[in-house]
Amino acid sequence: MFPGLRFELGELPAAAEALRSEVRRFVATEMPAGYWPNADFNEGHSPEFSRKLGSQGWIGMTWPQRYGGGERTFFERYVVTEELLAAGAPVSAHWIADRQSGPLLLRFGSEQQRRRYLPGIARGESYFSIGMSEPDTGSDLASVRTRAEKVAGGWLVNGTKIWTTDAHRNHYLIALVRTQPPTDSRHAGLSQLVIDLHGEGVAVRPIRNIAGFDDFNEVVFEDCFVAEADLVGEPGNGWVQVTSELGYERSGPERFLSAFRVFVEFVRAAGAYPQRADAALIGRLASHLMTLRKMSISVAGMLQAGTDPAVESALVKSLGNDFEKLLPELVRLQSPPGGHWPAQLPPDHPLERCLRQTLLHSPSFTLRGGTREILRGVVARGLGLR
Amino acid sequence: MDALIEDTAERIFSDRIDKAMLERAETTLPGTIGEFPAALWETVRDAGLHLVGSPDTGTDYGDLFGLLKVAGRHAVPLPLAEILLANAVTGDGEAGAITTIAAADNVAPWARAADRVLTIDGELAREFAVEPGANLAGEARDRVVVQNPVRIAAPDRLHERLALSRAALTAGALERILAYAVAYATERRQFGRPIAKFQAVQNSLAVLAGEVAAAVCACDGAVAAVESALPGPRQTDEIAVAKARCGEAAGIAAEIAHQVHGAMGFTHEHGLHHFTRRVWAWRDEYGRERQWQAELGQRIAANGADNLWDFIARGHGTA
Repeated sequence: MFPGLRFELGELPAAAEALRSEVRRFVATEMPAGYWPNADFNEGHSPEFSRKLGSQGWIGMTWPQRYGGGERTFFERYVVTEELLAAGAPVSAHWIADRQSGPLLLRFGSEQQRRRYLPGIARGESYFSIGMSEPDTGSDLASVRTRAEKVAGGWLVNGTKIWTTDAHRNHYLIALVRTQPPTDSRHAGLSQLVIDLHGEGVAVRPIRNIAGFDDFNEVVFEDCFVAEADLVGEPGNGWVQVTSELGYERSGPERFLSAFRVFVEFVRAAGAYPQRADAALIGRLASHLMTLRKMSISVAGMLQAGTDPAVESALVKSLGNDFEKLLPELVRLQSPPGGHWPAQLPPDHPLERCLRQTLLHSPSFTLRGGTREILRGVVARGLGLR
Repeated sequence: MDALIEDTAERIFSDRIDKAMLERAETTLPGTIGEFPAALWETVRDAGLHLVGSPDTGTDYGDLFGLLKVAGRHAVPLPLAEILLANAVTGDGEAGAITTIAAADNVAPWARAADRVLTIDGELAREFAVEPGANLAGEARDRVVVQNPVRIAAPDRLHERLALSRAALTAGALERILAYAVAYATERRQFGRPIAKFQAVQNSLAVLAGEVAAAVCACDGAVAAVESALPGPRQTDEIAVAKARCGEAAGIAAEIAHQVHGAMGFTHEHGLHHFTRRVWAWRDEYGRERQWQAELGQRIAANGADNLWDFIARGHGTA
């Protein structure tokens, strides 16, 4: 078969399975009072909950202990993340730092950076945002125009990042910037910098989304000074680094669980003895979800084995995002289950509430972390078509 | 599965099966009736492949369904799934007889060429009347009336294993369909370049690849559940996932593969239809997607909404 289409399936190891009930007990007692569960990793910013997770050792799980990590496997991390998402726990505060900023610093950062940033992330106290997109740079990431100019002791940054989730309440941003003018290779001359979001020369402006929330932002840098010590990896190596970061960004269960609470509420509304059409929808959604989960666990196995599952991650994310969008649509057309009047549930019914919330966020599912079109391009490359 | 079995099967099927054989074996063209490829069967039997998965052979259900996946890649025109499962059930395949299986509707693949018919509820007959028929792929699906059957021990979970056989055949055939589509898109030139260079075509092929990968994973998951003898309800659930997901993938994949092939793939002369018609046919055999989805959905609903995630993550009856 084609490279990138080989998914070796495996059972989760016992050590990982053992964590499952522990996480469930934790969520049952620590879920903030009155919090409306949402399986979307981007919803629910709770520093208090993140700190508690940190003290359980469930952030930075795979990192070395000397940086505050737990030296656990990717499978153990997988179980913790999927349990938190399925329960709809508020995880957005630490999510990016745990998923990709930490691993990026671990792989490319200096010893000083690791010691400075990783323990705080692992404690659930230090939160990071992604600094990739710009007003004129979305999918074409190599076209970033934010510049970092070499000055005594560091870099002077000018430019704008956009769609920066939680920049108004996170601590740092890892920005992809141009440190050399473009040459024949568009991928040359890019670098990554850790920028303090509360520092001088950084202005964060909220952007309201279609759901009425303003959890993403525009971040403007005006002569923002970044110390030499906050350059991540080698100057000019930004492209390689940012692509490896995307491997972590694309592979997890958050790529097919965003709409999961809609499924839960539909099963609840359908009751223990559903009509055949309702049962068939439940079974259909489950067959997709169980299959995606097998594929995603297989990718966790590749990360554990140290291989680079770029194509597999893109394929699972693309398939998973399509499913996250299909789920609320199919449920909506089948609701209310049972085929009884009233033909529509009241807006405060948990299923209706979940449906509305998910539908309003659904356009982002196939945009964030790489658009559907970009991901399908990665898969096409895996098929040898480009 | 065992690599030696896979290699042997791959070699025999690629060497012995060509388009002419597939056409002769199918009941597709008007006035023709599918002819059993006896020479192919003898080769398969001489290599011992008909005993894969049978007791005391050192092979298991993982090998059996793995072999069917390989068979799907080559559209093997034999009732291989039925022979393997019947031999595994009766344990007397050494004699080399062709034993097919009649489902609840009394339809048995290739009964016209069979020595024995095993019924789904465990009757074995050497005498049976046959009325030839075919599925939409032109594969022999004969109606049988068994005479003087002998009751053997009730076969364990035979219906769901037959369903899984169709998922495995489908997963293999889908791999072949993807290979066909990628090869064609790379060779076929329009507007001065291979059509594979157009983003619209790449996009379609990426969707096709996703469906194929999902089908293979769904199938492999169910095979692993059977192979490692998970509790009965979990096997049933995993097989339901596999049959339903492979069936959905089959429809999407066949549609895209034909679109990429243009009118060329719509001709009888092209090889693609031997695979696309089979996956269309197999998704209807031993329970359509909706049947398996509804049964799975009923078990999930009975488990309760608050246990939905546990069902997804750990399956039925393990809490």
